[in-house]
Amino acid sequence: MTAIVPDTLQGALIVSVIDFFLSFVIISGIGVVLALFPLLNRVAQFRSRMQPAGAGTHAKRVAAERKLAPLDRGGDEPTDEDIAAIAAAVLVVLDGAPHRILHIEPSPRSGWAAAGRVAHHASHTPSLPKP
Amino acid sequence: MLEQIPIFLQALLDQTGAIHFSFGNLIMIIIGSIMIYLAIAKHYEPLLLVGIGFSCIVANVPGPPDDVPGGQAISALLYAVKDGGLFHYAYMGVEKLIIPPLIFLGVGAMTDFGPMIANPRLVILGAGAHLGIFVALILAKVLGFTLSEAGAIGLIGGADGPMAIFVAVKLAPHLLGPISVAAYSYMALMPMIQPPVMRLLTTKAERQIPMAQSRKVSKLEKIAFPVVIAIIVNLFFPPVAPLITMLMLGNLLKEVGVTDRLSKTAAGGLMNVIIIILTVAIGSTMAADKFLTFQTLEIVVLGLIAFLFGTGSGVVTAKIMNLFLKVKINPLIGSAGIASVPIAARVSHIVAYQENPNNLLIYHAMGPNLAGVFGTAISGGILLALLGAN
Repeated sequence: MTAIVPDTLQGALIVSVIDFFLSFVIISGIGVVLALFPLLNRVAQFRSRMQPAGAGTHAKRVAAERKLAPLDRGGDEPTDEDIAAIAAAVLVVLDGAPHRILHIEPSPRSGWAAAGRVAHHASHTPSLPKP
Repeated sequence: MLEQIPIFLQALLDQTGAIHFSFGNLIMIIIGSIMIYLAIAKHYEPLLLVGIGFSCIVANVPGPPDDVPGGQAISALLYAVKDGGLFHYAYMGVEKLIIPPLIFLGVGAMTDFGPMIANPRLVILGAGAHLGIFVALILAKVLGFTLSEAGAIGLIGGADGPMAIFVAVKLAPHLLGPISVAAYSYMALMPMIQPPVMRLLTTKAERQIPMAQSRKVSKLEKIAFPVVIAIIVNLFFPPVAPLITMLMLGNLLKEVGVTDRLSKTAAGGLMNVIIIILTVAIGSTMAADKFLTFQTLEIVVLGLIAFLFGTGSGVVTAKIMNLFLKVKINPLIGSAGIASVPIAARVSHIVAYQENPNNLLIYHAMGPNLAGVFGTAISGGILLALLGAN
């Protein structure tokens, strides 16, 4: 690519004027485009409003289900004895280290039952005799 | 036997570069030392000035006389690696335009363009603050530089190191050393250069104009920004496409939120490696015989003029905008339209803070500061398109 402006002082002035003017024009154009960016947010809001009531992300669905139907175990909310037992278990697991229990609630899955099954099955796992 | 000892000692001395050590080498070593001092004691751009200063010192340690072309010794550094090696390829990385785009990748990954998106009207200041480029260009032509050289020198006023290097390599590669040193040095000295000009061109009342908090920018906007800008700028200015593409890619990696390890690498480890290589490459060009010339002095002075006029034109552009705006802008943010991110924005903030401690302009000043990056890219792209590459 070769220069298209003469290598003179006049050429320098021409380049400067054109460049400075075009810079303003292009930068202003970028500014106009940026001024339209808030429309992107409106499009996103519009799309989320247009989505059917039952649809949504998995997380939204789970949160909605939790809100509508709190864990229903036929009145199986933790009793004072349950809380005491859990607190004692935590103390043993943490080996007496200072701690504070912030919240206890029933779990949707029975982790205790699953852990119990794993322990039971593992107790019958055949093992190689030690040399 | 004993009479041969002085001959042996002379032969040993001839194998060192000590006999070629000149007064010019001493001056450049002092200049390199000053750079390191400014970096360590004054915290002026330490990431750049330490490497450049040290390389400048080493580049002025002359090599042995076997490699004396035309009676002048090259530096021991270049002597050791004249056929390859780290320093040779470090300079190649700059000359072949590999390093500047990688720097922009890191810059994009570190930059939040939210202030620019939130205040579109302030991007005008990113163009207004570039008058200094053209003042320096015209003066360089008056001083006898070719138009291509003048264009490369003028772009120092854009205060964008990688862009200055990019344009210098294409328009005036023989001036790469003084141009890159001037660009990076003045960027580091911006806290000293800008405030007097800013205070001279504004009244106390203007400096105390408060600016309201900007709107919040959504993640969707920040993700769309690099894609849209890359398309617009590359469409109109293909010569600067490598730089803008990498700048916007780095920013996209940061904003999408699912490429954290890539954006952290670009902004962290990769950027640090590239800075080390860049500073070594720039400093190694500062050998006394090439750097201590009247032409270098002219370039340094023209660079200063470019910065001064750029600062002033940015402030004046903001004042002109205030004639038409109902909600006034603080004209101090106009000087941030010089692209040195985030130094120029920080200077605007500090000067305003000194006038009114309740006026925190850093976020507002970042808008024109970031726009200045594109302003410099646009100016550079137009210069490359009009002046061509020989």
